Amino acid sequence: MNIGIRNPVAKTCFYAVLLIWSFFVLYPLLWTLLDALKNNEQFLRNAPWALPKLPLLWSNFSYVWNKYNFDSYFINSLVITTGSTLLGLLLSASTSYVIGRYPFRGSNALYLFYIASMMVPFVLALIPLFFLLNSLHLINTSIGLILVYASSVLAFGIFVLVGFFRSLPKELEESAVMDGASYYGTFFRIMLPLSQPGLITVAIINVLNIWNEYVVGTILINDPKHYTLPVEIGVMQQEMQYRTEWGPLFAALLFTIVPVLVVYIVFQRKIASGITAGAVK
Amino acid sequence: MKTSGTAKWQRNVFIASFTIPTLLFFCIFTIYPVIKALYYSMFDWSGMSDHMDFIGLQNFKDMFRDPIVWQALGNDYFLVAGKVVGIMLLATFFAVALTRFNFKLAGFFRSIFFIPNVISVVVIGVLWNFIYNPQIGFLNAFLSLFTKEPVTITWLGFTSHTIWMLLPPSIWAGIGFYMILLIAAIQNVPESLYEASDLEGSNQWQQFRSITMPLVWEQMKVSILNIMMTTLNGSFVIVWIMTEGGPDNSTQVMGSYLYQMAFRQYHFGFGAAIGVLILATSLVTTVILQRVLRQETIEMS
Repeated sequence: MNIGIRNPVAKTCFYAVLLIWSFFVLYPLLWTLLDALKNNEQFLRNAPWALPKLPLLWSNFSYVWNKYNFDSYFINSLVITTGSTLLGLLLSASTSYVIGRYPFRGSNALYLFYIASMMVPFVLALIPLFFLLNSLHLINTSIGLILVYASSVLAFGIFVLVGFFRSLPKELEESAVMDGASYYGTFFRIMLPLSQPGLITVAIINVLNIWNEYVVGTILINDPKHYTLPVEIGVMQQEMQYRTEWGPLFAALLFTIVPVLVVYIVFQRKIASGITAGAVK
Repeated sequence: MKTSGTAKWQRNVFIASFTIPTLLFFCIFTIYPVIKALYYSMFDWSGMSDHMDFIGLQNFKDMFRDPIVWQALGNDYFLVAGKVVGIMLLATFFAVALTRFNFKLAGFFRSIFFIPNVISVVVIGVLWNFIYNPQIGFLNAFLSLFTKEPVTITWLGFTSHTIWMLLPPSIWAGIGFYMILLIAAIQNVPESLYEASDLEGSNQWQQFRSITMPLVWEQMKVSILNIMMTTLNGSFVIVWIMTEGGPDNSTQVMGSYLYQMAFRQYHFGFGAAIGVLILATSLVTTVILQRVLRQETIEMS
């Protein structure tokens, strides 16, 4: 039996701290929405916490979407996130399956190699990556970003999925082999569907990271046609020095935040289990 | 004999086909760039042409004479220290409060507190820029409520201490992740231990000191190491969005200085050398921290 907190004063204080922190977390989001509905005059005249004046400027959203080309940035982000998550998942799941269930000479070394690579700071690779992609003519292409992102999520995927594949019961596989299924058939028709929970966990964490990624995007993409959302947000905020369009900037932030918030709300439990699995190093 | 030979062959083909493509891909897009960075760090190279001058360790010698590198290094460790203290204190408190205090809304708070972690650091940087904005910012408007004259502090404009301003957004953005880790760790502690100590009449604080703390120490250690590594590798983004390393390079961190030297000033060799410095510092700090944080770990049966 959990004793909880007996002292009512202490209990109230702790509750207050939790409520205050909830406010600190939620308020900036609410504030983003409210400010997305204001014009410049309201920013300059009224307090930052003032409610937007009626009529609400919903047009800021369509303005950003059309005039700032957020329609294409949104699609770029969507394509790149989906492509690199799927490619990363395919490459990490296949290797994890073999390491987890078909140990061979050197399989443990291979596993450790991937794990150890997580210790290497990714910034170190930035400069060579730029020149590598340049020589492959993949600068300013979605494919280039997809390849780099997919590679950057491999180690984490292998780390989580090896453990996952190891935990699946051996009998299923054996009976599949008895029935004459090939190694590939067993993997694609039996093991992959069974490991869906693990795959989804890894996929969700990767989707969040890739959707939000900024540094690699900034370096590998300098043609506005191919910007992803975070890259454009960075550019847009620098442009605010000469062109003040605060309302549209907040609307732009929302276009970036809302999709990940939806993913988070739907897959909360998966995300928590992914974090926990990834940290038992 | 023959059949087992084919079976073995099939198995090997299967293993190869499932591991080699991944390994090749990983080597091309992650391992090769890392090794190439070590190589570039020994050249003077503008990146504009194929012409590269081999200068050995000169970049590293220059680096140690460059005051901005030392500034950046200091800022990086300042952020590491500030984030470790801020995040660990709050994340531990929240994790304990949401598991051991019997609060009805624990699940709700837990969901809320994680939200900053799913938002892009770029977005967080832009939002906090508006909090600090001297004319239309939140902080000045709030302070103005208590003063006669409107407050117009340029929070991000001081040549000293501006790095302090980058701590709140970094801590704000980091807590949820470590809270989730610690919650999972606390939930793994056998309930019987708490029950036994309840019978002895110990309070929450005593339980935290004698049960929770020692049993989740492993996770806390992992968290501290992780904060250190992600800060050294990734503090670049928040710095770049909020201050671009300014004013006067006072908020430069190693990552942002690498970016500036390489992609703005075209000293790619020097930039690569900073990358090597980041690698070296994060490895050395990991080893040192692991020594410092070593404690008798209690085996759970």
